[in-house]
Amino acid sequence: MGSLLAVGEGMRTLGLLLSLLVTGTQAATDQKAVVPEGTVIAVAAVTGFDIDRLSPGLREDIRNLAGTPLAQARLDALAERIEAERPRYVAAVRAVMDPDGQARVFFVVGRQEVPERDDNINARYIVEQADIRGVPDEELSQALRDDLDAMVGQRLDSGAADRLQQRIEQELPRYDVSRRMQRGSQVGRIKLVYEARKKELPQWLRFDSLRTNALFHSEQGWGSFLDLGIGNRTIRFTPMVAIDNADDLVEEYSGVGLRFETRQLGTRRLGASFEWSWFDQDWRPATLSALALTPDIPPAYDTRSTITPLLKFAVTPELSVAAGVSISELEPLIPATGSQMANAAVASVDFDRSWKDGSEPTHRVTASFGVRAGSRDLESDLAYTRYLGQGAYRFDAGRHHVEATGMAGGITGHAPLFERFTLGDSRTLRGWDKYDIAPAGADRVVHSSVEYRYTGIGLFLDVGSVWDAETERHVRVSTGVGFYAGPAFFVVGFPVNTDELRAIFTMGLRIPGVRIQW
Amino acid sequence: MALLALLVWPAERSSAQALTVDVVGEVLRIHAPGFSFLKGDPLTRLRDGRSVRVELAALVLPGPGKPAAAAARRVFALSYDLWEERFAVTVLDARSQSVSHLALAAVEAWCVEQLVVPLSAIGALGRDAPFWIRLEYNVLDGDAGSGSPDPGYTLQGLIDLLSRRRKTDSSSHALEAGPFRTPARGPASKR
Repeated sequence: MGSLLAVGEGMRTLGLLLSLLVTGTQAATDQKAVVPEGTVIAVAAVTGFDIDRLSPGLREDIRNLAGTPLAQARLDALAERIEAERPRYVAAVRAVMDPDGQARVFFVVGRQEVPERDDNINARYIVEQADIRGVPDEELSQALRDDLDAMVGQRLDSGAADRLQQRIEQELPRYDVSRRMQRGSQVGRIKLVYEARKKELPQWLRFDSLRTNALFHSEQGWGSFLDLGIGNRTIRFTPMVAIDNADDLVEEYSGVGLRFETRQLGTRRLGASFEWSWFDQDWRPATLSALALTPDIPPAYDTRSTITPLLKFAVTPELSVAAGVSISELEPLIPATGSQMANAAVASVDFDRSWKDGSEPTHRVTASFGVRAGSRDLESDLAYTRYLGQGAYRFDAGRHHVEATGMAGGITGHAPLFERFTLGDSRTLRGWDKYDIAPAGADRVVHSSVEYRYTGIGLFLDVGSVWDAETERHVRVSTGVGFYAGPAFFVVGFPVNTDELRAIFTMGLRIPGVRIQW
Repeated sequence: MALLALLVWPAERSSAQALTVDVVGEVLRIHAPGFSFLKGDPLTRLRDGRSVRVELAALVLPGPGKPAAAAARRVFALSYDLWEERFAVTVLDARSQSVSHLALAAVEAWCVEQLVVPLSAIGALGRDAPFWIRLEYNVLDGDAGSGSPDPGYTLQGLIDLLSRRRKTDSSSHALEAGPFRTPARGPASKR
């Protein structure tokens, strides 16, 4: 029976080889007849085999054929290189003439089965034992066990061992499977061991984004925010340090904080975080002047201490909700007056989804909506409601990147200054200075931005408005160019709808996350 | 000072490896006894009894870091004899040369010596023109790590970034030396 199977296998192999060789011969003939040497190649592709399994150099050489004149010797050499890299495959060249006079080149690759050829020196040894470790017996099918048993007593066949590994991986999709061989009990005998380890399930909840940066804004000066994520894939501690950071709030703040997060509380759907921070504030003269003129806005403060415990729940891997409280104590600028509490119930919905088109372009959509409600019921001195919706879409295709963002928010009641909206920093209205637009912030905001980047150069357009409910709304536009090299960037922005021609530039380092993993 | 040391260290490590060439008949042979390409995961895979395919390339450059004027590439299938504890290698091309019972350093040296560059190809650079040799390797069966969906940098990644070491940087996968000159016959001289 074994001999019959071997003969059958051999016949099938022979058939495949013959058909490919005929195809190759036919291809060569066709090409000589139809596609003359020197015809410009429109596209070159590999069929019957995943091109990503070839070496990077060979892949590049094949792709670089596009736009070059067809040269049969060059195509044959590439086919030989495919066969050299993948000795269990045969490759033939086929060229087809397009109606527009250009050629399409295909490398037709097919697997050959040559059982007697094995590059592994251990193929001369007899397999005395073949088994799978790390999987309960009841999870193994009888057919799989039979195939394992069939390898015992035979010389090692690396191809058969590869195919069996693929079968195990298909049958046990929740496991990572690796293979190794060991010496057997006697000289000349070996053991074939497949080791299966349960895959770690992907986490559904995400850690808060890390945002280490060091920025210079031509109107606002230097500032930095450093955070370091320390942990594993389930829990993380994040110490934070802010130094003169004025990029995201009305206030310029310096201080420290610590955040603890877990993405799994019994189930990967449930997580929690706890954050403590203490920041010392500096206020720009423009902000203090604006506050003096607008007594409705709660006063500036000297320091801000906050604790924020949150519970998080993942509805799906892409969609999660969070709820908790934020308790802030604001120490006054004038010591004689008492501190103020700004305690709020907080809730948010977050969406994050990435997907690919084929092998190259990737898309990512993120969106969030958050509400913060300061209430007397929480012993807050300030009663307010703040809501903010944000969304972003990013498209990456090779060297081309497009990002579109949008946000809108509003505040009712008397919100503390750290809750008020601003525009005109390193990410929003990049041709404007926030202390010119709304030095004390505002309670309404709308902003959208679109940026196109080609490798390290980007062009952007920002449109936005930040205003108080009872004042006139003024839409501002800015545009500019950015230069990016890894975490470093340099951006020049120009206000568009203004009489004053001036440029604002920001530069620095923006590192999405520095982590220590254990 | 420490940053400067980090920036300089990889280059010093590379230059410590020796690369020599000699002329045999009409071809240039390359010798690089310190050039190691079997280490880490590929070596573990070999010692687990599996085979590993490696592509080696010798590039002839008209100057340091310049595009190659000539190249020799070969793909090797290596394996490790579990009982004899020696390496075996087969060249994966039409001639299928094989050798076995070699120690680690010897099998690496043997592979490098199979890279021969025809003198006629070097002649295109101009008679008696200096040239550089760049040795590169690419492990074809390596377990390629998938891109992490989690954006950001680990501390090691940041150090690599700031010290200009990239994942695809060839500093750990290549060795470059020169200038060499080709005499009419016999060993090539290094200036």
